[in-house]
Amino acid sequence: MDLLTHIGLGAQVLFTPTNLFFCFIGVLMGTLVGVLPGLGPTAAIALLLPSTFHIPPVTAIIMLAGIYYGAMYGGSTTSILVNIPGEAAAVITCLDGYQMALKGRAGPALGIAAFGSFIAGTISILGLMLVAPPLAKFALAFGPPEYFALMLLGMMVLIYLAAGSMLKALMMGVFGLLISTIGMDSISGTQRLTFGILEFSDGVGLIPAIMGLFGVAEVIVNLEEGITRSVVTTKVRDLLPNLQDWRNSILPILRGSVLGFFIGILPGPAPVISAFSSYAIEKKLSKYPERFGTGVIEGVAGPEAANNAATGGAFIPLFTLGIPCNSVIAVLLGAFMIYGIQPGPMMITKYPDLFWGTVISMYLGNAMLLVLNLPLIGLWVQVLKVPYPILFPIILLFCLVGVFSLNYSSMEVAMMIGFGIFGYLARKFQYEMAPLVLALVLGPMMENNLRLSLVISQGDPMIFLTHPISASLMAVTFVLLVSPFIPWIGRRRKKLQERVGGENV
Amino acid sequence: MEKKLNHYNRISALFFLGVGIFFSFYGRTVEIGDWSEPGPGFMPFWSGIVLAVMAVFLLLGSFKRREWQAMPPFFPLADSWKRVVMAFLAMVAYLLLFKIIGFTLMTFVFIAFLLKTIFPQNWKRTLITACATAILARLLFINFLETQLPLGFFGF
Repeated sequence: MDLLTHIGLGAQVLFTPTNLFFCFIGVLMGTLVGVLPGLGPTAAIALLLPSTFHIPPVTAIIMLAGIYYGAMYGGSTTSILVNIPGEAAAVITCLDGYQMALKGRAGPALGIAAFGSFIAGTISILGLMLVAPPLAKFALAFGPPEYFALMLLGMMVLIYLAAGSMLKALMMGVFGLLISTIGMDSISGTQRLTFGILEFSDGVGLIPAIMGLFGVAEVIVNLEEGITRSVVTTKVRDLLPNLQDWRNSILPILRGSVLGFFIGILPGPAPVISAFSSYAIEKKLSKYPERFGTGVIEGVAGPEAANNAATGGAFIPLFTLGIPCNSVIAVLLGAFMIYGIQPGPMMITKYPDLFWGTVISMYLGNAMLLVLNLPLIGLWVQVLKVPYPILFPIILLFCLVGVFSLNYSSMEVAMMIGFGIFGYLARKFQYEMAPLVLALVLGPMMENNLRLSLVISQGDPMIFLTHPISASLMAVTFVLLVSPFIPWIGRRRKKLQERVGGENV
Repeated sequence: MEKKLNHYNRISALFFLGVGIFFSFYGRTVEIGDWSEPGPGFMPFWSGIVLAVMAVFLLLGSFKRREWQAMPPFFPLADSWKRVVMAFLAMVAYLLLFKIIGFTLMTFVFIAFLLKTIFPQNWKRTLITACATAILARLLFINFLETQLPLGFFGF
């Protein structure tokens, strides 16, 4: 009954012309971003954030969330038609999706990706509605040691999954923590490394850092060689999958949805891991595993459902603990803070309209995507045909203007260019951006919780091991840290790395 | 000469070693405090030390033979570096000049410059794309989103 009342509240918030309009804009922009290779949802949300400052927070969050799951939808279109994943999570869709397109079955592939994503989105939102409130109540038992241990674990998972050297990923994480100390210390009020520059007092901006590391650096790497791509030019028809397609796909969709949702709750690049895991499971369960990779519809349906379900799951740590588990959610956390809302265990009770409004908007957004994606496939194909030499100056312009319009500060634009140069060089030296970004986001929270824990325990670091929850979290962190030295875990990590491809959170 | 992974690791290890040492020294200047009452320098100091130690491990590891795997060339094509430098220079120029020249005009120059220099397009395509982008960006950011962008001495 309680749940129905909350759903009613959410619907009441959502069904206003403004919120519906911005929900639509969000999913439309998200799909566009997903379709365009080289501009991910992280950069897109960061880019559009300043434009939401003069609309109410609920409306803004509805739009920004729409970009996230819209991008997951859009990513599949490029995978199927161009064999270039618009999104990291859509990498696996290339395997069978593109093969289906080559066989003239691009229509059913796109259709099942859209329907599968819709079903998965629905299931994950149901899960979010059921799991988030009790988890938030449980999280009320968390104190500074538990929060610190949880954030440390979150970072460690990301480092564990790093594509290359774990030492290098750790170094990037610590480097991020150091950068996050720049600015005014929130406990003592001391200015740290600000050099008298006003903009540094609030710390290094997350948006300029993300736009530089992901947006600018990505474009510059692409410029070195230039992206060439050939779109499958045969007319995309028969978007509605036939009965046999449905028979083959329904179980992979359901399995992918449940798997994606639970993986989504964990820190790390959940949509990517869940898509790869779903593909592996479907291949294992299939009667004809040897045909995977030659254009079987299960290879599209399962992973597409899994990566969409993971986006719903990824909101759970944000709404219940106030902790972002990937870079997209990190930017959303930044957005919440700009609007003066602190996500965490109290958020659902303090801002029920925001929580339930966003959840219901996600459901409607999924329906909008279904209606939007199928008839607009032709338009997305046209967008894909825009040559990269024309596209990249526009992406760079959006990065420059987007960061400037945050605070009308040239210093932040300079910071973004600086992070762009660093991100470009770091890629060349085989360092990963994800641990750095997560450390930048979690750094201030980690520092405060570490210092508070030490104050509470009067300087005894054993506080992290005497509290049962933090002790368990610390134990997992420790196992992940020493895993490269334990042969059988090390081998598993290597396998997981190969599947996830690191980097893309 | 072909560069190997250990060359790259050595350079980056030295960079991070410098960063780590710098932060730990800086931490001392803003009061580290003690374990029962950590001060503002606590985190920079200890994190700096951790980074420096890890950088030393990376540096030592770079002398092991198994790290000597060949790396792809730093710039994949002969003229790649020019494109990279041009793109960064264009962004710096945009940052320095757009308050003086104004958003719309500077956007036109920025887009036209990149189109003509990075993957050179013909003049017709360059001018049409730059003009259309400048006008649409102005309509989107200034007129629709009401972003306070500088108009420069021409007033647009």
